[in-house]
Amino acid sequence: MPSRHALILVATTALLAFSGCREAKITSYRVPKEAPPPAAVNAASLDPHSDPHAGLGIPPVNSGSMPVASGPVDMASTPVPTATGDALVWTAPEHWQSRPASPMRKATLIIPGDAEGQQAELAITAFPGDVGGNLANVNRWRQQLQLAPIGASELRATLTHVHAGDLHIDIAELLGPAPTDGTLRQRVLGAIVPFNGATWFFKLTGPDALVAREKNAFYAFVQTIRPAR
Amino acid sequence: MRDIWDSFVQFFTSLRVTVVLLALSIVLIFVATLDQVNLGIWAVQEKYFQTFFVFWNVKGFPVPVFPGGYFIGGLLLINLIASHIYHFRFAWKKSGILLTHAGLIILLVGELLTGLWQEDYQLRLDEGQTRNYSESYRENELAIIDATDPDWDQVVAIPEKHLRDHRDPIQHERLPFRVAVRAYYPNAAVEARQESATSPAPANRDIGARLTIIPLAMTYKPNERNLPAAVIELLGPGNASLGTWVISTMLVQPQTFDYAGRTWRLALRFERAYKPYSLTLLKFSHDRYIGTEIPKNFSSDVRLQSDDGTTDREVRIYMNNPLRYDGMTFYQAGFDNNDTTTVLQVVKNPSWILPYIACIMMGVGLTIQFCMHLFAFVAKRRRTA
Repeated sequence: MPSRHALILVATTALLAFSGCREAKITSYRVPKEAPPPAAVNAASLDPHSDPHAGLGIPPVNSGSMPVASGPVDMASTPVPTATGDALVWTAPEHWQSRPASPMRKATLIIPGDAEGQQAELAITAFPGDVGGNLANVNRWRQQLQLAPIGASELRATLTHVHAGDLHIDIAELLGPAPTDGTLRQRVLGAIVPFNGATWFFKLTGPDALVAREKNAFYAFVQTIRPAR
Repeated sequence: MRDIWDSFVQFFTSLRVTVVLLALSIVLIFVATLDQVNLGIWAVQEKYFQTFFVFWNVKGFPVPVFPGGYFIGGLLLINLIASHIYHFRFAWKKSGILLTHAGLIILLVGELLTGLWQEDYQLRLDEGQTRNYSESYRENELAIIDATDPDWDQVVAIPEKHLRDHRDPIQHERLPFRVAVRAYYPNAAVEARQESATSPAPANRDIGARLTIIPLAMTYKPNERNLPAAVIELLGPGNASLGTWVISTMLVQPQTFDYAGRTWRLALRFERAYKPYSLTLLKFSHDRYIGTEIPKNFSSDVRLQSDDGTTDREVRIYMNNPLRYDGMTFYQAGFDNNDTTTVLQVVKNPSWILPYIACIMMGVGLTIQFCMHLFAFVAKRRRTA
């Protein structure tokens, strides 16, 4: 019965053909010009001394919208996936100066140096999950210092493991290459703290001598990190 | 050849295949339901059902480990259709079973078409604002806009998938340059570079020179979305670099530059679907029961205007009373900004009617079958009595 054969063939082919027909294509179209947005934010004034995110047009986290329960979450307030949930607290040395928190950071602390304008910065951030694991995070910091990435076998020697209460903390100390342009050599002390399904980063960056001077203070500071009650 | 065909037919019309496929589908649904805790509803649908195979990532390579929804559903459909073609003998006695199976075929086809054709967008409007496009929840696009004309924007929209699968520079007839993707992050935060940062900036043009990209783990929660970022390089004739830019859905404003005597804008944004009509939010109402904060009603009064001038009317959209227009359905879905912004869910599903038809057919078919058996049983009892 060839007609039945044909029918089965058509059914199979149609099914397979349907399955492949949703392809994302590049499109081109002309639209009336939109009214300009309220403020030109991206490129203009990025004052590094103020909020580090000012001018980026980065929407604030949890910006207070309230979608109805049965509907989809509205887009503008969709949280940027920084870690929420339980927080950590700490006690910083007195000479570390606190700066206002920002959407992407839990806290920022500035450590003034001896020379005019010289300072180190401690950035405290938290993201869900393990953010790629210790190796990826250490290599990200190494890349920022223009150091070559290391392999898994070298990771153990790079990290110092400490305990603060129930927290298991890995600390990496990285020294950047000596610059040839007269700028100061950079050193990073970074603590990685897994906590309740998120990972907290305490990253102290600054001139080599200043960060080296603050090393003991940083280790003492790390020991004060604990879950908020 | 004939033998091969016969064994092919025998396989597809076998009841054993039906049972195995049903068993596989039970396992698939069970595992997918458990995994929904980790991935959320959308990712589960894509990973388990809207795919031919379920893949596991083994050392960076996707390895198929189980047949997916399209595979099982497709084979079930072929199995059902083939069985009817080869074993079909019409008899009134079997009309109930035939109707039920026809309903099942329509249900399977309807699910396939829904997976392929359904579009789910949202439209955000502030009071007084007019928009002629809706935006995707999950899909993003790189919009390269020729903004030279004072009244019109010529847009080239490149879906995020092309950035993800970048190999060769992307070329388009409306662009005088090519787009090379130098880095792509499916979910990333961008923040201002530290003053003391010594590593090179990710890009050398516009805001990219002052940013750091922090890759983040992808999120699958239904109330969160991934915010992709990328570093792109524009290449002129002879592969001459025009510079590199950081693009991210976190950057609200497009980045502007001039090239070849024209003004261009770059933005990685939520995918847009433009319509030949526009909606203006006249008023959003959030009524509460008197003396309480308990919501009583949400409604949006909108003005609908088509580009061709044939439609210009005011509509009230409220819970369970959506606006249906031009094949789209606009539901009241959310609100924002202290009750001055409405969020409408915009859904297009050309095959929405099929599940209803399928369920009615299966219901009627099962009723007929049941009644036939009941009448035969009653008649038999009467005879023996």
